[in-house]
Amino acid sequence: MRGDLGPPDQRGFLFDLDGTVTEEEILPVIAREAGLEEEIRLLTDLTVSGAIPFAVSFRLRVALLRDVPLDRIHAAVRGVPLNRQLLDVIGRHPDRCAIVTGNLDLWIQPLIEMIPCRVLSSTGSIAPSGACQVDSIMDKGHAVAALRQQYGGIVAVGDGANDVPMFRAADFGIAYGGVHRPAPMLVEVADMVCLESGSLCRLLNMLL
Amino acid sequence: MSSVEHAVVAAAGVGARLGSDRPKCLTLLDDRPLIAHLLDRLADVPDVRVVVGYREAEVMAAVHALRPDCTFVRNVDYRSTTTLESYYLGSQFLTAPCLYLDADIWFEPHSFQRFIEKCAVSPGGLLGVTKAKSCDAVYVTRDRQGRVLGFDRGTPTEEEWANVAWLPPGLICRSSCAVFEVLADHLPLNGATVVAEEVDRPADLERARQAFNAWRASQAG
Repeated sequence: MRGDLGPPDQRGFLFDLDGTVTEEEILPVIAREAGLEEEIRLLTDLTVSGAIPFAVSFRLRVALLRDVPLDRIHAAVRGVPLNRQLLDVIGRHPDRCAIVTGNLDLWIQPLIEMIPCRVLSSTGSIAPSGACQVDSIMDKGHAVAALRQQYGGIVAVGDGANDVPMFRAADFGIAYGGVHRPAPMLVEVADMVCLESGSLCRLLNMLL
Repeated sequence: MSSVEHAVVAAAGVGARLGSDRPKCLTLLDDRPLIAHLLDRLADVPDVRVVVGYREAEVMAAVHALRPDCTFVRNVDYRSTTTLESYYLGSQFLTAPCLYLDADIWFEPHSFQRFIEKCAVSPGGLLGVTKAKSCDAVYVTRDRQGRVLGFDRGTPTEEEWANVAWLPPGLICRSSCAVFEVLADHLPLNGATVVAEEVDRPADLERARQAFNAWRASQAG
């Protein structure tokens, strides 16, 4: 039954990264570095509204930003603020938490080093030309399925349209709106909605 | 610091009997939604969970503007379930006593505060009762100690169930019953009088307006 999460000590918690663990969306920060804010914003808006699938949009966004040098991207990403209150909660239970993000491992490496649990992401590599290329795109629903054997009940936390498959595959979904309002299509598959970091962390502390 | 740590507010209802398509909890009393008055009463409660259903985005936006740290709980089956389902969903994962209330009620502030204070000394539970007056009353019988002995829809008494209860964890279960029918299995429970105006029909709303105005006049005096 939906909401049946089993024993607390066997629960797994999966968190979106952008706008959930980070207090600012990451791709716009990289786009600003490349002077492509408007183009990236348009693609992001089309994705959030459901007009184009996340995988298509993500490949397009990476294609636009592929020539930005990695060290410049890392310098920009390092400045993205993290939700410290949420990281404290995660840090107390790192083995039962994971970040599941569609973002590219190459780009978010500085954040991965600051996050106290494992991070599952899309993967990329640098082609001989020096451009960034996408090797695999994270399907968040598949990530839940892959983690099923490891955990009892699975709780998903996120804010965007690309979190919908994660919420559907999880046993309980918490839509979060601390940075911006959660995507309406995500709220439609959520069990609870927290619009502030304090209420999200209070709820997670009860569940963990 | 409130003695009440957790509150579940059932705000999923339609309000058809009021002749309005507005969510019932957004019915205006003195130009403010009923749920705004209720959130005033719960200002000291740290964990307030609002169960939403009918026009949930509208209700969430209104509540968020008043109390950003509320947790919203979705009852997608609000049309086919009773308030008990909303209470059940709202109380998920709680391991401590919780205050349960309907969002379509105006509570006179002083009597509500007295009720909250009594919660602290009522570990077994506390039911709110009020003078019988609403159009769809669930009548209550009590003993000399004030304990609630029974509920009855058909036989009028002087008091009715005020749709507010302080209950230990695990008592609210998942069932198709009305809330008072589940509580009936756990009687006797301590009862406390609270001045409450439940708004189901236009006549209830008019009575709530009169009660609110009388309370405000008493404050001005």
